[in-house]
Amino acid sequence: MKDIFFDLSVRSVRLNLMRSILASIGIVIGVVAISSMGMLGTNMQLQVKDQLSAGADTIVITADAVRMGPTGSSSSSSSSATGITKTQLNKIKLAAGLTSKLVPVYSTTTQFTLASTPGRSTVYGLNPDDITKFLTISNGTNIGGINDALVGATFATNFDLKIGNRIRIGQDTDTSRPVLRIVGILAARGMSSDNVNTDNAIIVSDDWYTNQYGGKDVYKQVNVIVKDINTIPDVKTAIDTKLNTDQKKPAVRISDASSRLSGITSSLSAITTFILAIGGISLLVAATSIFNVMMMSVNERIQEIGILLSIGTEKGEVRRMFLYEAVILGILGAGIGGISSLIIGYSVVSYMIGTTKYFFLPESIMYIPMGMAIGLMVCILSGLYPAWKASNMDPIDALRSE
Amino acid sequence: MINTPLIRFADVSKVYHLESGDFTALDHISLDIQDNEFIAIMGPSGSGKSTMMNQLGILDVPTSGELFISGRDVAKITALERTHMRRDTIGYIFQNFYLIPLLSAYENVEYPLILKHKKRDESGKATAMLKAVGFDEALSAHRPTQLSGGQQQRVAIARALVNDPKILLCDEPTGNLDRKTGFQIMDILCGLHSEGKTVIIVTHDPKIAEYADRTITLEDGRIAA
Ligand SMILES: Nc1ncnc2c1ncn2[C@@H]1O[C@H](COP(=O)(O)OP(=O)(O)O)[C@@H](O)[C@H]1O
Ligand SMILES: [Mg+2]
Repeated sequence: MKDIFFDLSVRSVRLNLMRSILASIGIVIGVVAISSMGMLGTNMQLQVKDQLSAGADTIVITADAVRMGPTGSSSSSSSSATGITKTQLNKIKLAAGLTSKLVPVYSTTTQFTLASTPGRSTVYGLNPDDITKFLTISNGTNIGGINDALVGATFATNFDLKIGNRIRIGQDTDTSRPVLRIVGILAARGMSSDNVNTDNAIIVSDDWYTNQYGGKDVYKQVNVIVKDINTIPDVKTAIDTKLNTDQKKPAVRISDASSRLSGITSSLSAITTFILAIGGISLLVAATSIFNVMMMSVNERIQEIGILLSIGTEKGEVRRMFLYEAVILGILGAGIGGISSLIIGYSVVSYMIGTTKYFFLPESIMYIPMGMAIGLMVCILSGLYPAWKASNMDPIDALRSE
Repeated sequence: MINTPLIRFADVSKVYHLESGDFTALDHISLDIQDNEFIAIMGPSGSGKSTMMNQLGILDVPTSGELFISGRDVAKITALERTHMRRDTIGYIFQNFYLIPLLSAYENVEYPLILKHKKRDESGKATAMLKAVGFDEALSAHRPTQLSGGQQQRVAIARALVNDPKILLCDEPTGNLDRKTGFQIMDILCGLHSEGKTVIIVTHDPKIAEYADRTITLEDGRIAA
């Protein structure tokens, strides 16, 4: 090594290796917390963005919550639930224009039995002709007969389903428990911005749905798939003027992917900020422990500092020696922290998000060098005062201390 | 200017401000020390010998009066200049050796060279200095704790001399050594004096003081003789 002060710092760290490592662990934890939490948040955002962009061309129209019955009324059943009516659907058709595709959607949740395993899932009722407008059947065929059904990809995997398997719909206690035959399995869709989340759902024909649950021509939602994504604002306005004639009491709520996206990403970035703050707090704790160890090092080496100063060492050189020590602790902590972040971050992202395909993207992986830099900076900042204290000792007093 | 002494105490006082009141450790000292003098400072414990050495070593500055070293008023130069004078003009040898514990004997001697030249030594000066005090390469690799008192003091002398200072300050250099080793150290110091160094040594031992050209005796911070 070229610099004797660096040598002295290395030897001091080595002399108190256990203590130094313990102090660095704080930094390791801080770096891991900051970088893996940061990466988790970013990966979440990236995934949500990716998935929501699937339905970017879709406007979702739902009945406005204001139209729900008075609070406390518990009389609502599936058949009397509010929704988009036939009249409204026609108005939407007019407003949306000929180039747009309309998909009216029925949906509810149901219990079912597969072989002898009971379960619960969403069931969507769709006109079979509409299904191919926005869903992909990866396996099998579209609904043909009245008792045919499609299932989502996750649903199929979870229950190990094959084409031709049967699902019994309804509770054990129900008198009539219709049986559906699975004719197709849908491609995975993820969390979609058009509010039709099929991965864990059963899809039946609209006829079967209204036979079973009633509520014919009262849709849970109507999706308008526009041809040109740039026309979304105009189409939204057209639908709004046509249906929400009373602006004080709008009849329907109209949303699109971008408005949903901004809501979700802003709440996600709030979560990210929160977990980053936790990382910050752990670094604060780490700073205290580094500060402590540095102060211990200074206090144990008072006489040595006295020797250095009395034989002509400049204050700046003494400062440098202790700052090196802080840097060594920082590099130790940030280095181990960086490697741990890679492993722990990867595991956390893979476990929490289910995919690591965004993990190595710059906006995600950058949290590791960032966390390391912050860790190192925290170390150096924690070392500033101890280093200053050491360099400003009175050499005579320092020499006399034992 | 020819007659300007190497060291001049001009009415120097050092007062420590304590809670129990002011304590005068050096009381109006006036004294000239010429180049290449060998001076012994004697006096009872607490008489101010170390305080005087600390003034000479520019570890401290007088409360009042003026101290000139190599013609410079030590109170009127910057802290950094004082540091550089400690490094370049003065060699300090302590009773407790005060070697840097984390460095080997060699590195201890090399250290002042690094301070001065801001790089590791390649001139072989440190090795030569150690050789002059009887250290071979193997012994030079030892850390201070692995050395005897006499050996440590030899290293301290080599360290004090390596930047070729004009003044050698020795505060009871033999105080922690047995008599025989003490005289060996004194022989080294005498040799340095004859090579041209100005040597100032604090001692309790009249036998040691006999080596000196001149003895200054302190009593309650004043020069008694
Ligand atoms: N930093 C200090 N603060 C207060 N008093 C001190 C300090 N240094 C020395 N003294 C006092 O000054 C007096 C002279 O001390 P010193 O020069 O060390 O004596 P000596 O070396 O002759 O034994 C002593 O009474 C000592 O207690
Ligand atoms: Mg003394």
